[in-house]
Amino acid sequence: MNAHTRQPEEQVESYLAKLRKELDGLPAEDIEDVLRELRGHIAERSAAIDSERNSTPVEQVLRQLGAPEEIGSLYRADAMVARARAGFSPALIIGTTLRWATKTALGFVAFLAGVLGYALGASLILCGILKPFFPAYIGLWINPNGVVLGAEMPRPHARELLGWWITPYGIGVGLAFILGTTVLLRWMLRFAPRASRRVALPT
Amino acid sequence: MRDENLDNWEAQIRKGWLDVAILATLWQGRLYGLEIIRELETRSDLVVAEGTVYPVLTRLRREGLIEGKWEESESGHPRRYYKLTSAGRSRAQALARHSHQFLSKIDALIQPLLKGQTS
Repeated sequence: MNAHTRQPEEQVESYLAKLRKELDGLPAEDIEDVLRELRGHIAERSAAIDSERNSTPVEQVLRQLGAPEEIGSLYRADAMVARARAGFSPALIIGTTLRWATKTALGFVAFLAGVLGYALGASLILCGILKPFFPAYIGLWINPNGVVLGAEMPRPHARELLGWWITPYGIGVGLAFILGTTVLLRWMLRFAPRASRRVALPT
Repeated sequence: MRDENLDNWEAQIRKGWLDVAILATLWQGRLYGLEIIRELETRSDLVVAEGTVYPVLTRLRREGLIEGKWEESESGHPRRYYKLTSAGRSRAQALARHSHQFLSKIDALIQPLLKGQTS
């Protein structure tokens, strides 16, 4: 069945159903609000419009609204940035930063800082956890070449600095790194571009 | 004839100005979504796809610059009326001052080009 033979109500419902699908993942209450608002827009707009030849008012109104995919992606992108800024989930924060990294240089710097911060934090925690299992290979050593942290083959001239203390220190400092990186990225995400400022040009 | 660079430039301009334009429409009082769109359509060239205005309204609401309130209407569909919060009013004024300053300078800068065109 093509668009021209369908009833206006059907066209509206199919448009809103597509949009609902696009909004999947947003809070249920927000989705209902968006759909209620657009349903009102479509109804009121169609009632006021003079129809062109070959198209019903509803078709015109839906065309002027834009594709549900585009509207949905604008809502989703904003909701994602807002959630990442409000939350403390490293996975969500790094995911949002990655999207941003593909767009601007500042985003790329933020993503790099994020990956470094989380990786350093995670390896410190890992050192702390692994020390009891591989006591000879994990530690913070000082040797003639400098300070070495992490897993290494024992060397004759190296002196281990922390001993068993590496477990509480490693875990503590590692967690502090992860928290610090999270706070830094949350702050940096303020400068992420707002997707909903994107307005399409006529085709 | 339109060229692609001009289209891109225009799209960038539009997205930059939409926030301040929406806040400006609400300066005199509360409006619902379609009224905001109608205002923007008669008084600016900012809106191309009408549906893109609604996500901006949601974001401005989330940022605490505007607030929305559902009300029943005689049309049979509830409307969400938006109005500026006090944070929104001061942001709108600051944006207006910046915009005015910015635009006057650009305007002065491009005046010679416009004169060149008509002579």
